[in-house]
Amino acid sequence: MKQTPKDKKIMARMQPGVITYSGFLGNDTRDFNQVISDDEMVLEELGKSAEDIAARLEYFQQKSFDAFEASTVVDDIYDVNTEVVRGYLPCPFMHQGVYRKSYTTVTNTKSGKSFTYSALNIHLIRVHHFFEGKKSHFRLEPRELVAELF
Amino acid sequence: MLSRIFQDIGLMSAIGVILALIMVLAQRWLSNYGEVTININKKRDLVVTGGNTLLASLADKQIFIPSACGGRGTCGACKCQVFEGGGPILPTEKPQLTKEEMADNVRLSCQVKVKTDININIPEEIFNIRKFNSVIEEIIDYTYDIKGVTFKLTEGQSIDFKAGQYVQLETKPYAKVKQKAIRAYSISSKPELNNRIQLIVRLVPEGICTTWVHTQLKVGDKVDFTGPYGDFYLRDTEADILFVAGGSGSAPIKSMLEHLREVGTSRKMTYFFGARSAKDLYLGDEMRTFEEYFDDFTYVPVLSHATEEDHWEGKTGFLMPYFKEAIRDPKNTEAYLCGSPGMIAAVTKSLINDYGIDEGKIYYDSFG
Repeated sequence: MKQTPKDKKIMARMQPGVITYSGFLGNDTRDFNQVISDDEMVLEELGKSAEDIAARLEYFQQKSFDAFEASTVVDDIYDVNTEVVRGYLPCPFMHQGVYRKSYTTVTNTKSGKSFTYSALNIHLIRVHHFFEGKKSHFRLEPRELVAELF
Repeated sequence: MLSRIFQDIGLMSAIGVILALIMVLAQRWLSNYGEVTININKKRDLVVTGGNTLLASLADKQIFIPSACGGRGTCGACKCQVFEGGGPILPTEKPQLTKEEMADNVRLSCQVKVKTDININIPEEIFNIRKFNSVIEEIIDYTYDIKGVTFKLTEGQSIDFKAGQYVQLETKPYAKVKQKAIRAYSISSKPELNNRIQLIVRLVPEGICTTWVHTQLKVGDKVDFTGPYGDFYLRDTEADILFVAGGSGSAPIKSMLEHLREVGTSRKMTYFFGARSAKDLYLGDEMRTFEEYFDDFTYVPVLSHATEEDHWEGKTGFLMPYFKEAIRDPKNTEAYLCGSPGMIAAVTKSLINDYGIDEGKIYYDSFG
């Protein structure tokens, strides 16, 4: 797929060491448009939208904020806590705004499966349908999210 | 036929070269703003070469406005008032500015380009901020993800700061990181030791600067930083003190306690430190030493999620219920808080509503 000048800028911002240490693409050889497109197909198959996923992640994050970031149990089976560190992250898509460096971990206590995501991840999923590239530090697998968090 | 093709290719190449030359010359001509004057606080003029950002132009003249994102317009720390010559507010600035700030001529100095004479207003204390060169003298592993790093200033330099203030560290390109990054860290050493500073740095997932500190820095490395910054510092009163911190928030509190040990104090002081489990506790020995030294200082670590392996017999849960035993006169108590926004919000709310502490006597350094 041919990249526009804007796509090239976005790709540059997703590289390691620009916004985050390892970048947003992991070891994925696809460009970000292809990553988005492939994940959208998975979402369609699962019958969920990116908004559904983002809203669910935000729900857990908010529950944790309501508990002043301390560990809290949500809906009886999810253990949720948030770590906040100093600083903010910008969106690699050059979307306006910055996102607090908050890292929420949700653990499904029945399966033991955990997911850690930042405030920026919620934005990337909601607005850009971007779950990050394979093996990226904060890559979230749509299939696993739907199986474990809904 | 073939010669015609070569002729056309040659012609196209020549046109391309000419256009490129025109663009280079135009760029040089159009972006040459010559010398321009920055008037600061209607008191002093700086003559700089036009075309750079206001933040960079001031830094060239050794005036350092706080900036935690390296001039990308994402941290909002470099705000200053621009009265004339700054041009219209840019879309990159708007997310960081409130309506009131926009009406008050507040701008992000990293986004404003100095193209003409410009009038600005910055706080006077910014003139105390300087750039320092240092050599790493010591690195201590406090926990699995927290290090204490001591930076010894190069010969002839000294830093004048208040306990509680912070500096901005400049990383160097390393591994996958091709550009320098700038991040803020509270000073954890006492101001009286003015030829070196210690910082406490917690490893942040995917953090460019904290990864550098934790994986690259070694004793003897040269590191630059600017400072001191911030209005979180110990007030010189006789009021009782409540220190509250979590995570790497211990840094400014340690600086304040070391300072008080130097100058002497009889103030009643209690330090509540919130951690998740025992493996997140650090500086315990130093705090016990302070307890022995001061007439009335108590260190209270509280674990929110003590594990069985911790064999923890101390306090658990939220910090707030334990304040009761530390506050003897709410009207004569100051609180110094450092940690996450959630912790700051919860503690502030409790101190005001449950314990009657005056909001104006609650000072904090929030990570958010």
